[in-house]
Amino acid sequence: MIMKKLGALPLLWITFFLSFQACSDKQNFDQFDDLQITPLVASSLFAVEVEESFINTITTATAFYSETFNFDAFTERFVAENLLEGTISYEIENSTSKPVTLVIEFLDAGGNALDAERFDIPAAPTALLTRDVAYGPGGKPLDILINTTDLRITGVNLGDNTSTSTETDPKISLKSAAEFLVQVK
Amino acid sequence: MKSYLVFSFFFLSSVLMLGQNRQLLFDFDEIPQSLMVNPGADTNHKWHVGVPVISGFMVQGATSGVTVNDIFADDGVDINLKVRERMIEGMNSRDDFSITSQIEGFYVGFQGRNRPDNYYSFGMYGETDIIVYWPEDLARLAFDGNGGPNIGRQFDLGDLNLRGEMTTVFHFGIRKKVRDNLTLGFRGKLYSNIFNHKSTNNSGTFLTTEGEDNILSNSITADMGLQTAGLNEIRDILREDTDTTREDLTSLFTNRVLLGGNLGLGLDLGFTYELNEQTQISGSVLDLGFIYNSKDVLSYTLEGTAVNEGINVLLPEDINTIGEDRWQQLVDEIEAALPFEENQDNYIMLRPVKLYGSITHDWGEGASGTRRENCGCAINVRGGGNSEQYYRNRIGGLLYMIKRPLGVQAALTGSYQRRFGRNFSVKTSYTIDKYSFSNIGLGLALKAGPVQFYILGDNLLSYQNIAGSNYASLQFGFNILSWNDN
Repeated sequence: MIMKKLGALPLLWITFFLSFQACSDKQNFDQFDDLQITPLVASSLFAVEVEESFINTITTATAFYSETFNFDAFTERFVAENLLEGTISYEIENSTSKPVTLVIEFLDAGGNALDAERFDIPAAPTALLTRDVAYGPGGKPLDILINTTDLRITGVNLGDNTSTSTETDPKISLKSAAEFLVQVK
Repeated sequence: MKSYLVFSFFFLSSVLMLGQNRQLLFDFDEIPQSLMVNPGADTNHKWHVGVPVISGFMVQGATSGVTVNDIFADDGVDINLKVRERMIEGMNSRDDFSITSQIEGFYVGFQGRNRPDNYYSFGMYGETDIIVYWPEDLARLAFDGNGGPNIGRQFDLGDLNLRGEMTTVFHFGIRKKVRDNLTLGFRGKLYSNIFNHKSTNNSGTFLTTEGEDNILSNSITADMGLQTAGLNEIRDILREDTDTTREDLTSLFTNRVLLGGNLGLGLDLGFTYELNEQTQISGSVLDLGFIYNSKDVLSYTLEGTAVNEGINVLLPEDINTIGEDRWQQLVDEIEAALPFEENQDNYIMLRPVKLYGSITHDWGEGASGTRRENCGCAINVRGGGNSEQYYRNRIGGLLYMIKRPLGVQAALTGSYQRRFGRNFSVKTSYTIDKYSFSNIGLGLALKAGPVQFYILGDNLLSYQNIAGSNYASLQFGFNILSWNDN
């Protein structure tokens, strides 16, 4: 009765309105499972800088520096559980008059050495020594990093304790940084 | 389950909203709810009663960036590629996802018995409003990291902008015809907030560059915060996950709905001014108000500046520190320089203010002898109602603005309304805004006996592929009403 009273035109409007049925292209929400979020995280790790004058003061031992310290960066839960691969870069510069050996040992919670990087650096003048160590596919096992809780850095003087380099501010420096590919999702 | 969550997020984010613009309802004077968007609207009811709970339901959704279809279309394209191209590379920090919903609990209005120039209305509704801006730099940092090509790139931490709330609103409004050509209205509001959160006005940067004492230097400067109220107790109940979780949540929500939440005050103002017999301008400002958050407040701040170059040992300076916990010292230094802290400080949250302004022109008298100045009407009748006094056609232009965290968003609407007698009216509109340039809306109000049904829908063209829509809106309801027959 009401529709009849309203007439044909309103009916056309209603039909028009109702004709807008919601349609949708086919969606596949399971694709979300395939989404991968893998940022490349970069940070410095540790650095050691020793002046030649200090090395000359160490006469009772061959190692002018040896220290074991806690290093939880790799065992942080987020890194340990999501690390896909990574690279640790080292830069070593020696401007002293002495050949030097630096050793970086990766230790697990029991104090066992999982891996070590050894650098033999001749006396100055010498070029900047760089080394990139890959972990993960194609590189060293990731387990080395994941299980590392401590680092032991040792510096050994292979020269004398009296000479001084003619370089400005003679010293030996070790720098390191890492780039880790982690799987957030 | 995961798929449902994803679907829900994107559906709510991209299918159902446009920041509260109710352009079809504005100036649709046959519908009593038009008083909710303009308390000075030119309505013509003797009284109205909304059918409880279903008198007014509205949901809007919008995305200025990607749509559901852009990411989840079953098109054989790797989702990682789609996310990369359409979100990481394709969106910026001004793109947003937003959703607004509103449901009326009750809504009643009546003409003053002794003051027929007045129309009083009151009621209660619940409103949810959430807007999340695309955190452009933070998303790029999460997806790409700070390494490789991003060394030297400065990430803007100020890209984090979000705001959301669920609020019950108790309101009382008066619309008064103060002159033959001027109607004014106001509506007072009492808010009871169920929960809210906001993280706006953040600033800061994160930068990785070549270091001074080591290969790389990570530096962060942050002045960031997240304020929440009402969420902590909800989270605690959900965490407990006991046999009474449902009852506990129901009890908590019921209490907060009924003025047990954080309270606030607000005001709506509106007017309608007739330039001449057939042309009028109208406008309103809504939700001039605030909520004072003092209950269940938990906020977080991250403020400070920190630079990290890893563990550094300098000899001989550090000779006496050998053997100390260098890792913990590094962590402590960073945390001291950049503390992440919690507080329970009270705070005020302003409501998202809305502004409407419109001009309309009517023509085509629906019946003879409809001159308003001769009708002796107590209130306006242009808006439809009395079968002897209405214009068949109305065109209008409407400007809408809303205050959002990153500034004012605006929309422009042109509309045409056609009335078929006193009981049936249809309105169509075209709206442009940041979400869509092809938003065609359609609405109708139909009265059968004392019962009125209305339905208003936006961006109808997008319904051909709703998953690809940047904006959609739907509102409908049932009222029982009587026209003013004066």
